Amino acid sequence: MRKFFILVSVLILVLSCTKINDKPIDTYLSGSGVFILNEGNFRSGNGSLSYYSYDSAKIYNDLFLNINKRPLGDVPNSMVIFGDMAYIVVNNSGKIEVVNKNTLLAQSTIDDLISPRNMAIATNSKAYVTSIYSDSIAIINLNNNSISGYINLRRTSEAIVVSGSKAYISNWVGGNEIMVVNIATDKVTDSIQVGAEPESMVLDKNGMLWVLCNGGWMRTTPAEMNIINTGTNKVVKELVFPDKQASPSCLNIDRNGENMYYLDGGVRQLNISSSALPSSPLIAESERYFYKLGINPSNSDIFVTDAADYQKRGYVLQYRKDGTLLSTLTADIIPGLMCFK
Amino acid sequence: MKYTFIYIALILTISLNGQIALHKDTIRISEVVISGNRMSSEIPGYRKESLDSSVVTSYSHRTVAEVLSLKSGIFIKSYGMGGTATPAFRGTGAGHTQIAWNGININNPMLGQSDLSLFPVGMTDNIQIYFGGASMTLGSGGIGGTINLETKPDWKNETSATISPGIGSFGTYSGLVSLKTGNESFQTNTRAFYYSAENDFRYLNTVNSSDPAWETRVNNQVKNKGLMQELYYRWQKSVLSARIWYQSSDRNLPSSMLIQQQGTPERQSDESVRAMFSYNLDKSASVLYFTGAWLMNRLDYVNTLASIDSRNISNSLSFKAGAEKNILTASKLKLAISEELNEVNSNNYGGRIIRNTTALSASVESNLSDRLGTNILVREILDEDKFLIPDFSAGLQFRLLDAEEDILKANISRNSKIPTLNDLYWSPGGNPELKNEYAYIYELTYELRRKISSSINIKYSVSAFRNTIKDMVQWRPGAYSYWTAENIRNVSSMGVETSLSAKYKLNKFVSVLEASYSYTRAYDDGSDSEKNQLMYVPENIANASWQFIYKTLYTSWKLNFTGDRFITADNTKSLPAYLLNGISSGYKIKIKDSLIDLNLNIDNLFDVYYQSIAYFPLPGRTYSLKLLIQLNK
Repeated sequence: MRKFFILVSVLILVLSCTKINDKPIDTYLSGSGVFILNEGNFRSGNGSLSYYSYDSAKIYNDLFLNINKRPLGDVPNSMVIFGDMAYIVVNNSGKIEVVNKNTLLAQSTIDDLISPRNMAIATNSKAYVTSIYSDSIAIINLNNNSISGYINLRRTSEAIVVSGSKAYISNWVGGNEIMVVNIATDKVTDSIQVGAEPESMVLDKNGMLWVLCNGGWMRTTPAEMNIINTGTNKVVKELVFPDKQASPSCLNIDRNGENMYYLDGGVRQLNISSSALPSSPLIAESERYFYKLGINPSNSDIFVTDAADYQKRGYVLQYRKDGTLLSTLTADIIPGLMCFK
Repeated sequence: MKYTFIYIALILTISLNGQIALHKDTIRISEVVISGNRMSSEIPGYRKESLDSSVVTSYSHRTVAEVLSLKSGIFIKSYGMGGTATPAFRGTGAGHTQIAWNGININNPMLGQSDLSLFPVGMTDNIQIYFGGASMTLGSGGIGGTINLETKPDWKNETSATISPGIGSFGTYSGLVSLKTGNESFQTNTRAFYYSAENDFRYLNTVNSSDPAWETRVNNQVKNKGLMQELYYRWQKSVLSARIWYQSSDRNLPSSMLIQQQGTPERQSDESVRAMFSYNLDKSASVLYFTGAWLMNRLDYVNTLASIDSRNISNSLSFKAGAEKNILTASKLKLAISEELNEVNSNNYGGRIIRNTTALSASVESNLSDRLGTNILVREILDEDKFLIPDFSAGLQFRLLDAEEDILKANISRNSKIPTLNDLYWSPGGNPELKNEYAYIYELTYELRRKISSSINIKYSVSAFRNTIKDMVQWRPGAYSYWTAENIRNVSSMGVETSLSAKYKLNKFVSVLEASYSYTRAYDDGSDSEKNQLMYVPENIANASWQFIYKTLYTSWKLNFTGDRFITADNTKSLPAYLLNGISSGYKIKIKDSLIDLNLNIDNLFDVYYQSIAYFPLPGRTYSLKLLIQLNK
């Protein structure tokens, strides 16, 4: 009888051990972590959502499909968390999936967007969505998850940063301007000329808008960092990249608004008080193909994605803010932008 | 070389002419076996198959893509009704299958491939499939194989007019007319083709929202038309031919189920003019031929959502000249020179591009005995100003038993493929420094023909192949923000193909059973390769058809099986296998010199839901009705 009890308790222990390893993803989704949007191949419809959980130190893939029983769509580009909801902008499916930020259950879908790229929360009830092929940005009513209107910029848009009562939108593809929109009136009030192809922008703690201009794929004009005073909407400083072949992207800033990071043959770090661009990277690229960069606002961990050959599953690399590699994770096809929770 | 075969085949058909005149009921039979002469009419060691005139007639309103996918072991990757369809022959890419018209390569020089959905079967007389090494006899670049569309003269002293209207599901209207007349010296053949379809089929969208919903396919309209004029003049041992072929196609291209479209954001317009002039002189001990062709391709593609307005015109001048001479006792020496000049005007290239390719080939074909035949071919290609490493091909054919038709064939080839103009000059990313791709092809085939009884004939073949393709061009992200083309890929493919055909004929009843199966493994080579099957290459494909003809009635049942296809490089996701059934029945009657054939065809009889490309829906049961009226004099 005793032997039987021991056997049964050992069995229960063993079985419960396996249960602990297979704890449902829901437990980890509600904790702190990083969402990674895997773009997939254009028109192949194989985009997906991954999540790296700090609590379990593991990455979970194909979450949208597993939870909602349907594919996420074609080229999911970016994700924004606001309130209880997360908004996933799916570029080539022309939609935004509104999901619960802790369960990822789909709540509603905002359709009929034209190649949407990035979304920024303008007020508690309003958001703007940029478009890489339409001349207008869409205004989203966050109360009923619908498109309430458009703002005609007369040019395409990519990056968007909200500062107080203004929204700054970059005209990336073939452009060189930052459009300024008054959030209260939904009208374009100004346009600021910067370097060629402004790809990403961040706001620092002094209210200065740093714009990373890629230089254009033709490589005829060099890349630049333009600093705009949001009070005057004027460019106050320009840092030109010395190497004309440089193709920097993905400007990010930490939560303090002091240290910036971007991709340029590796991950480079730039402090807002610096007068010159860093001459060497903080994290070298070596054999990898760095695609997108994200900085965790809570601990300044650096997350970089490596799209590898753009066919097989890519990688997500986690570094401490000093550049020490913490983990190498396997995501899905072409892991791209990230969203931190 | 190409014309030798055609001409010899023509001679043989002429000798059977008397029989055809006496027994005028047209019976659908598979290729008639001509034993004894087989060795001399075919290059020894290579595998070639024909979809003969009866297949061409029954599929006349369909496209080459559809007939190959239903009747051959070639996998056709299709984006749906009216969408692009490209061949994946033995696991190779679309650029590794050459499409030829009477031996002249007609692949779009920019893409290096052809959209087989643009070729209506009714514009050909015969479709020949050159497997692997056999393609070397026509030209280079056909690493998977070459599909040759033949239009040839029928030297009968009669006039024949054909009108064939068709109607089908989803707003499909088609029509084929032809007028052929001539005598033993002169032939003219005119044909015209029209096809238009709404393609507004219903499908279940399982992926766009949480509840699957029935939707109607929109933006899927297709309008195709074509015209061909052929003139043939024959005197003594010479044949002169002039042909011109015009095709145009306008298509609205729908997106996948995951993308909701507004209006018609994506459409493509293709136009081509192909003019060919050839001369062939066939004395019994030597052959001389010359072909000149002008090929014009216009491709305009508009995608308003992606701000793409792509306009491309390519012009090619192609010349092929050759001589064959009997040497020694039973050998033939063949020399051929081919020259292709391409010119492209495209808003995707930096400027106007011209490229010149010359190839010189020499081969010796020997019938060492009535059981053993060999062929050795060498080809040197001059690509612009670069001499490439020469290609070669060696084939061996051995008849195992004297009295029977048991043939063993083996061949090994080195086949080069020059980079496409898009790989070289596309802006941005094209790489003018690209080297050519090359492949080693190994093939072993066993063929068997037997006459089991006076009414039963069977034909069986089994073939094993292996391809190793090196320096394959692949586009990948470069140092800048755009992708570039590089010769960095190596692919291996191997497999087995087998086919069986059994014909039973008794009085007025004919029954033909055909079945084929192919197994293909294709993967990226490399030291760290996990040998994952390439995406969209099915490991298993099988086709079968059973045809019955009794007097004026005919019917056939068709089955097509396509196995699972992986849609990710690491083989974790796949599209499920599917089995399609189809039935084609009709009534064919001869009234004096006229022929009337009414045919009803049902594809996907059991309404199977399947996809060829992930998230692109395909129609369920599809009907088509076709009438053929042929007046002969």
